Amino acid sequence: MNEEHRWIKDLLWFFAFVGLLAIVFRLWFGLGATTNLSDAAPWGLWKILNMVAGVALATGGFTVGFLVYGLRLERFRPLVRPAILIAFLGYGSSVFALTLDIGLPHRIWHPLVMWNEHSFLFEVAWCVLLYFTVTIIELSPTFLERMRLDRLTGFLHRIAFAVVVTGIALSSLHHSSLGSLFLVTPQRLHPLWYTSMLPVHFILSAIGAGIMVVVLVRLLVARWFEHRPIVAGDQKFSMLQSLASIGAAILAGYLVIRIGDLIFTGTWRYLVAGTWESWLYAIELSASAVVPVVLVAMPATRRSPPAIAFAAALAAFGLVLNRLDVGIFGYLRDAKTAYIPSLNEWALSLGILSAAGLVFFYVVENYPIFDDDWKRRRKARQEFMPTFDKASRVWQRALGGELNRAGLVAVFALPVAWALLYPAASPSDRLDPSPATPPIALDAERAILRIDGNRGGMATVFPHREHQDRLGRKESCVRCHHLSLPGDHSTPCSRCHQDMERVTVLFRHEAHFSAVAASKNLVGWIRSNHSCTECHEPTETRGPDAAKPCLDCHRKDMTPAREIVDPLGMARAAGYREAMHGTCRVCHQKERDRVERPELAECATCHRTPRSLTAEASELGFVGPWTESSLVGTL
Amino acid sequence: MFGILFDVTRCKGCDRCVDACVEASGSDPVAAARDRAITQDGLSANRLLSVVPVNDDRFTRMSCMHCVEPSCVSACLVGAIQKTPEGPVVYDPDKCIGCRYCMLACPFHVPRYDWQDTMPFVKKCSMCLDRLREGGKPACVEACPNEALGFGQRADLLTEAWDRIRHSPGLYLPRVWGEEEWGGTSVLLISDVDLSPAGWPDPATAPIPSLTEPLIRKTPWIGATVAGCTWALSAIIQRRQRLMGIEADRDGDV
Repeated sequence: MNEEHRWIKDLLWFFAFVGLLAIVFRLWFGLGATTNLSDAAPWGLWKILNMVAGVALATGGFTVGFLVYGLRLERFRPLVRPAILIAFLGYGSSVFALTLDIGLPHRIWHPLVMWNEHSFLFEVAWCVLLYFTVTIIELSPTFLERMRLDRLTGFLHRIAFAVVVTGIALSSLHHSSLGSLFLVTPQRLHPLWYTSMLPVHFILSAIGAGIMVVVLVRLLVARWFEHRPIVAGDQKFSMLQSLASIGAAILAGYLVIRIGDLIFTGTWRYLVAGTWESWLYAIELSASAVVPVVLVAMPATRRSPPAIAFAAALAAFGLVLNRLDVGIFGYLRDAKTAYIPSLNEWALSLGILSAAGLVFFYVVENYPIFDDDWKRRRKARQEFMPTFDKASRVWQRALGGELNRAGLVAVFALPVAWALLYPAASPSDRLDPSPATPPIALDAERAILRIDGNRGGMATVFPHREHQDRLGRKESCVRCHHLSLPGDHSTPCSRCHQDMERVTVLFRHEAHFSAVAASKNLVGWIRSNHSCTECHEPTETRGPDAAKPCLDCHRKDMTPAREIVDPLGMARAAGYREAMHGTCRVCHQKERDRVERPELAECATCHRTPRSLTAEASELGFVGPWTESSLVGTL
Repeated sequence: MFGILFDVTRCKGCDRCVDACVEASGSDPVAAARDRAITQDGLSANRLLSVVPVNDDRFTRMSCMHCVEPSCVSACLVGAIQKTPEGPVVYDPDKCIGCRYCMLACPFHVPRYDWQDTMPFVKKCSMCLDRLREGGKPACVEACPNEALGFGQRADLLTEAWDRIRHSPGLYLPRVWGEEEWGGTSVLLISDVDLSPAGWPDPATAPIPSLTEPLIRKTPWIGATVAGCTWALSAIIQRRQRLMGIEADRDGDV
């Protein structure tokens, strides 16, 4: 690789190191902490980008094999080894990413011995594994030639045809089956993408785009490594042109089938509906098929290597976008939540792909993959190697060596990655047990304090003076500041403000938060946080007395329930709810005034959970010097 | 084959069944209470059953429907989910690899993943299979104070459901949810309001395995055909090339 293109490798090393840390975090902290996957979006970036799209981009291995071994088009033979290398790296990185994506990576071997032959995923797993083995066998002569294992190499050459045919059969199966994976979600996947033709769409686009990737890689390698770049009119370029034409022809067929499918199934209506999905679909189809086909077909652009490279890159991008649409975007409307991959997910995805890129460069520089002299490539690389100057006792070009440079990149990459990727505490985790930090006074008299006990960034403004006044001025200090207890600086708010969690009351705060937020159409990052003021006056002290009466919202629950009709439709009775409210509530209201116990008429007096109060208090994580009787007393 | 009959008109949404389910499944009650607040449908790895509102005063049940032809069973690549002869669809954590394809495949969005765990498993209702084998009822059925839940053989429950609909004209809509949808479910519902907001499809919806299983049976033959065709094609072309005296295709324009 030329000096001017070395930044590409530096970039790949950077992402590879960041990805390495992402892998460590994923294994250490688990899927939930490092990804944005959820029950609503169980499949994410690793499965769709690395596995489904990554495998599809690596189809060049079997398509070029088919052209050379099946159709005997010997002119494409120079591309067989590059295509197999691409296939090997594509499949290898996919299998690696998939191992990290599944929840229990140490059980990746289970599908080998535990079979469910009804499952398309089972078929994909087997085919991918077998085809990966095939690519290893196909690639091994390249390495064995160097080791002078002539008998083994000769044997591999003899079985080459059988291996290639096996690879073609396996590929034709699993590339369509990757589409069939999504056939199980007829009610979830957006109708623009859900069609019974998914397997056909998947295999055609994979073959077309896979060929384009081989063309693109060949052009890029020429640009990076060869003295004389590939230019129009070149024999090499005419070969790439014909390969691109084959790819474009397949993509054209794919385009026709997809548009035909849209018209035939009537889903074109969703395309003109103007939703974000229809725009996505249009962009995806243009990038994956329309523009590349036009660029390859038009004489002006067809003769230009950059235009062909652009067409190939666009086809590859379009294929990735299509897989992301089918696997991720198409589900968002049904899931009702947006899935945005976390930084960790991106880092791991790109890290694995970058590592595959580095392996590609290593193999290309050291082994005869591309037809011309790899020895020159290796020599060119060694020109940057550091040398020790004996006279001055100084290392020349100390960072010229591959690993030295990578080490320097690591020094920059790892701290950045650590800072960005270290998983934040999940919001659903228990409270931070770290010691509370002292509050900050907002004014000289300490009338108002700002409290952020665990430095979590969620502060509250605490009216200190007001509390002093209410609790008895100077004498009140000890109520909260237990100066007599060593290490006990102040009392948590919940020690006094227990009402919110009062366990004897049926009213469930945690259920109301989200229900109120939903019914009032509240907005905000955490909508339920804004729901307090729907029931409590913002200026008032929080507590059951200052809250809105239950009946303000639950009026409907008090209207007479459905009457009960017997099978003959004769006798009628009031519903249970109406009967209970009618008989009990009236008397309770009357008695309330007589015995002066206002709580008698509260809903929660009857609607209370029958379980042990202390048990419930401890389940709710309530700490307090409480007994069963004192809890009843508070009611 | 056992089943559960749920009568929407009798459910008051008291969540007693959910509490019983949390207890029977050994989940952490604090985590379950938290998940009710922070999830859309109240269903999570700690809360395998959820009572959700259909409209202002009707509730329905969200949990595994124990389909007659379950999509998850057909989808799981290691066969970790099985339909038992007793009726429940049960999950075997010893086989699971955590691919989460069952979560994608379930038409009712039921299987949940224990995301907080570093070695997570799928969690789903097993219709309290252990209790059934000892001759008992599922915990939710036992807990219901209002007889909204009934338990028995699926065929008997279906008869009972239609009897109730017939004997109370005007009270129920003339449909048993779960009789035919997705090929039928072991949990049946009768209601006086339409349950399609709760994720129920048309009664005529075909079971999901019928979309994939006929196709996958063909795959060995497709593979063999492709291999055979490639071999034959190659042999024919090679012979022609030899007859025409061409050793290799010449490079040239297209």
